[in-house]
Amino acid sequence: MQKFFSNKKLIILMILIIVTFGLLAVTVNIRDKKSTPPVVQQVGNDVVSVVGGVFAYPTNAVKNATSEFSDLYNTYSENKRLKARIGELAQNQAKLEVVQDENKKLKQELKLTGSLTDYTTVNASVLSRSPSSWQSYLTINRGQTSGIKKDMPVMSGRGLIGRIVEVDKVSSKVELISTDNELNDKFAAEIVGDNKNITGVVSRYDSSTGDLVMENVNSTKNIKKGQSVITSGLGGLTPRGLYIGKVYGIKKDNYGMTNSVYITPAAELRNFTVVTVIKSSVNGEK
Amino acid sequence: MDIKNRKIVGQVLFIFLAFYLDGLMKWAFLNNMNHATVAILPQLMLMMIVMLTMRIDNRRQLITYGVVFGLIYDSYYYGIIGLYTILLPLLMVGIDHFKFLLVKNNLGYELSIYFLSLTFLQSGIYLLERLLQQTNTSVFDFITYTLGPTLLWNIVVFFILYIPLNNLSEWLVKYRRDNK
Repeated sequence: MQKFFSNKKLIILMILIIVTFGLLAVTVNIRDKKSTPPVVQQVGNDVVSVVGGVFAYPTNAVKNATSEFSDLYNTYSENKRLKARIGELAQNQAKLEVVQDENKKLKQELKLTGSLTDYTTVNASVLSRSPSSWQSYLTINRGQTSGIKKDMPVMSGRGLIGRIVEVDKVSSKVELISTDNELNDKFAAEIVGDNKNITGVVSRYDSSTGDLVMENVNSTKNIKKGQSVITSGLGGLTPRGLYIGKVYGIKKDNYGMTNSVYITPAAELRNFTVVTVIKSSVNGEK
Repeated sequence: MDIKNRKIVGQVLFIFLAFYLDGLMKWAFLNNMNHATVAILPQLMLMMIVMLTMRIDNRRQLITYGVVFGLIYDSYYYGIIGLYTILLPLLMVGIDHFKFLLVKNNLGYELSIYFLSLTFLQSGIYLLERLLQQTNTSVFDFITYTLGPTLLWNIVVFFILYIPLNNLSEWLVKYRRDNK
């Protein structure tokens, strides 16, 4: 025993192992349970992200330029398709305005201040993406000072892309919906159609096909390919009506017990430089 | 400021630049979010650090670099502390310990050391994350879809960047004492 402890290298090794696991366990716990990381870490991350903005700005400009270039290729066919839909859209928009106005008045009548569909938004630009295969985080340049809280959903131009996982003072991290972290990739969802109330949980991401998988679906009758999937607003900080994607197909799981609905995500998770953080007006129970 | 401190400031600045480039490269060019089977992780900071470690003889300075940049990397990119913070200084001490075996720095030696350190770092991160259940990827998937592509990409980049990086790190470390 005497000899064992006199060995300096062994003691260093022992301390190193204890420190490693201690640090990791504490920080993982803080990330999962506390709403913000410790102040020192917040300040550190903020300083790094503010300086990083200097590099991110030109990178985003280049990224925008290249995506415009690739968009140019599809312009003709897209234009044809879009022209066909413009008339329909104008009509829908007029209808939407009338209905929204009516909705507002009715809510006033009922003295209803906020419902599941009400939310406000904060725009933020992306600073970087983590060079890590399991922490699929984006760093964005808005934080607590803009009213962002942990677990708020985040959209890009077309659809849901993820959820806030860490908030610092002037920056925060978004965990993408394509993560395999089981704590964070679940969204309560529903399928929009004539059939009422098909709800489930978007709980998995199939990385080989790039589809989102919706599980715990209450009935798969009448689900058709191409129906829209939106968040259902049940259970917490996500409001109702955020667009997730379109139904692609239904598959049985490996045991043949339950059905999962496969969803093509609406947000192309590649060509965007600006994201929108959604602040729900109705908070879930704390 | 004397020449020694100026060189240290230069080293820190260039490591920082490489640190930001890691995140920006992943974001701008290797951003495969829709089909996320293959994950290529740019590791330019590691490249810079390996090149500097081969040339700096002061072990205390190396450990300080490792811990400081490891902490920043963990906190900013990973959100959990203890991966780079521990593995990076370990790696640097390891390289420092064995570099006397190499007669002269050349592309072959440095490439193989970079290869080994990248493998060590990525496997270490995988093992730690697996132990703490941050991922449930199997070992084979890790090797095929993360380690392999990452090694390939980074080795190619190392080849391309070797000459400028070599000159840069020589310039950042070597100086004549009389030259104030």
